[in-house]
Amino acid sequence: MTTTYRFERRLDADPRHAAKTRIYGALIAMIVAGLLLLLTGRNAFQIFFDALDAVLGNQRGVEGTMLRAIPILMTALAVALSLRMKVWNIGSDGQFLMGAFAAVGVGIHLGGPGWFVLIVMAIAAAFAGAAWMLVPALARAFWDVNEIITTLLMNFVAVQLVAWASLGFWRDTEASVIQSTEAVPYRLADLPGTNQLTIALLVPFIIAAVLWWVFRSTKIGFEIDTIGGNPRAASFAGIRVRLRLLAVMLTTGSIAGLGGMLQLSAPGAQALSTGFSAQFGLSGFIVAALAGAAFGGVIVGGMFIASMFFAGLVLQTKGLSVFIIFGIYGIILTGVALGEVAARYRLLRVETVTEVASA
Amino acid sequence: MTDAAPAAIEARGISKSFGGVHALDAVDFEARLGEVHALLGENGAGKTTLSNIFAGIYRSDGGELLVDGSTYDFKNPSQSIDAGVGMVHQHFRLVETMTVAENIHLGWPETPKVISQRALIERTKRFMDEIGLHVDPTAKIWQLSVGEQQRVEILRVLARGARVLILDEPTAVLTSHEALELFDVMRQLVDGGRTVIFISHKLNEVLHVSDRITVLRNGKLEITRDTQGATARELARLMTGEETDLKVEHREVTGEPILELRGVSALNERGVEALHGVDLTVRAGEIVGIAGVSGNGQTELAESISALRRVESGTISVDGKDVTNGSVRAIINMGVGQIPEDRIGVGMVGSAPITNNAVLRNYWGDALSTGMTLSREGVIDFTKTLVEAGRVQTRSIFATAGQMSGGNQQRLVATREALVATRVLVAAHPTRGLDVLAAHEVQTSILERRDTGCAVLLISDDLDEVLLLSDRVAVMYEGEIMDVIDRVDVDRERIGLLMGGHDLEEGTP
Repeated sequence: MTTTYRFERRLDADPRHAAKTRIYGALIAMIVAGLLLLLTGRNAFQIFFDALDAVLGNQRGVEGTMLRAIPILMTALAVALSLRMKVWNIGSDGQFLMGAFAAVGVGIHLGGPGWFVLIVMAIAAAFAGAAWMLVPALARAFWDVNEIITTLLMNFVAVQLVAWASLGFWRDTEASVIQSTEAVPYRLADLPGTNQLTIALLVPFIIAAVLWWVFRSTKIGFEIDTIGGNPRAASFAGIRVRLRLLAVMLTTGSIAGLGGMLQLSAPGAQALSTGFSAQFGLSGFIVAALAGAAFGGVIVGGMFIASMFFAGLVLQTKGLSVFIIFGIYGIILTGVALGEVAARYRLLRVETVTEVASA
Repeated sequence: MTDAAPAAIEARGISKSFGGVHALDAVDFEARLGEVHALLGENGAGKTTLSNIFAGIYRSDGGELLVDGSTYDFKNPSQSIDAGVGMVHQHFRLVETMTVAENIHLGWPETPKVISQRALIERTKRFMDEIGLHVDPTAKIWQLSVGEQQRVEILRVLARGARVLILDEPTAVLTSHEALELFDVMRQLVDGGRTVIFISHKLNEVLHVSDRITVLRNGKLEITRDTQGATARELARLMTGEETDLKVEHREVTGEPILELRGVSALNERGVEALHGVDLTVRAGEIVGIAGVSGNGQTELAESISALRRVESGTISVDGKDVTNGSVRAIINMGVGQIPEDRIGVGMVGSAPITNNAVLRNYWGDALSTGMTLSREGVIDFTKTLVEAGRVQTRSIFATAGQMSGGNQQRLVATREALVATRVLVAAHPTRGLDVLAAHEVQTSILERRDTGCAVLLISDDLDEVLLLSDRVAVMYEGEIMDVIDRVDVDRERIGLLMGGHDLEEGTP
């Protein structure tokens, strides 16, 4: 009798099991990263506890993490929604920037009571984000043009437009900063009991909850999942695939756009500048992809990646090189990604009985 | 074949189980030198398991395997090839972007390490002449028809010195004409002294081409006998273990017309007219069969009725109401169901749970939804009813549909459409790819629909099926209905001519 082990592909991965394997993946990656740090003569344990302390040790850490989480969560939710329909929105960064652009335009030019201006800013941001998705959405729906390329290219246009606004037509001529528009004089209400946070923090949680409900209990969610699973079957069920495609793509643009408006209430971000988006769209994309487009997973993943970024920032001030920090990010994210793959396999013990026969 | 011919390959008491389930239970099998030996059985009978043991893909749990009289225990496919046993799988293993010559020489130990294209093609030609099987050696695989690709696959196996050739359901992917060509190839190979093991569940083919037949059922040997004198009916009984003749009762159809097509024309994907002025009436409690060679507008006909394809001119009405170019949903709401030709590609979402697939064509109805929300309990209840009615076997109704076996996926779609179809059922090739028992189940459910007063339009390229079930037969050729013939007046020869675009009066070309 011989015993061997082999991997067998599971027919479908149980989401709870998949969540666990992702966590194991992250933990194993942290151990690997720690070993590498030890090999280079650094005190890995100290670094680990410093990082943990930076994020969870005090209120500043928790709030700093949350602040970073908001834009990442907004772009991640946008990408996750599009992924439910197997549409790849690579342009959430551009939609985020355009949302901020529209909100700043409203904020510095429209007068009136604060609540009123803020509401108009939010609406303008959502529309601007959707507008930035309009061309890719129409191209995909009517001519089947791959949205990965179009949405990606729209990012570059948005970056240039924001640069033009910050350096040109909306440039703040009085402040000492050269590459920035005027600051928006309105800010969302503070979140009670916090120093830096505003009610902006609630928005991604509300959106995630609504999306979760839509996909769990409504016909529209059912239809989007059906289109994502098999567009031909969706047509067979009488679902108007093109209309749904347009609606979903524009909605993802508006979520990312709204994220741009929320970001204007973050400390030190009231004005539009060339460095306004720290590649939030990219982080959001990673989160959505690793979460497998599950909205609860997006929230957890977004908080995790934000805490990692904040810890990295604190470690930098303690003298750890930025390259090492980026290396650690990479190792951890790879671990999560491998965990996601591992969930689809199981280890099998195979016992074979063989009668030895002579040839 | 003389009985004196020695065994080329032999299995003695071979057993194999997967996770405690006996796939093969002490099976004896013997294929003689120079014969086509058919291995017959339903899906899951053990045919593929046995041939995979011959090909070295699986190892048997017990029993003895002999090739040319010597005992072997193949640990991997290359040992089996070395012993002269080659298998052609249902799904080809060819590199699409390479030429025929390159594919035949790929991974063949005798291929010279360095060789010019011209020499490679020369070698291939010489080899093809030797075997007597020809495909253009310079053609790229993707340029070839499925039948030609299969020929390349056979050449590839023969190039490695196979004297026993196992063909796993080779006709499943072929047109009927290509299948006949393959049978000629098989005869040619056995005349050259090789042995062919032909795996199939199509009785007509087996009776047509084989010398001897072995029937497996549930992993056990039922019988090994000469093909001469065997009947399809006897073999079907051995395969399924029961009498499988479907009794179809035809009564006088007196129902009022339900589905009416008047002068319907439609285009195909390439914008060419695929339906030309089709007139057709199906009455309540009637099955109208569409006979015809695939690609003569049958697909477009089914899609036009279900509003999946735009009608260019003419009218379609259901219960006297004009539904031409209405919405898909309006048609479904009128009680028109369709078992689509491509059940997996069009009729189902493989990655979605069975529940979603069960309600795919009626989730918007009052029973399953209120306002914009979907009733979870309603969906679960409906799915349970459907799974039970269709005898769909699954461990959970929340498992994804793609996980089920092909037969169960077919049952799910067919039963769902039967539930939708209160007035009209369009069944496009409903039994294609099913084994005998499953096909009878589907045919029975179509007859049940008919008996409830549903108007049934049956599209099938299996003429036997059309003639068995239909009250009237409409023959289609190049997008037109050539004639509609009453069941009692059916003349096979005339139908055959009509399918080819001729009629008796005109004579044959």
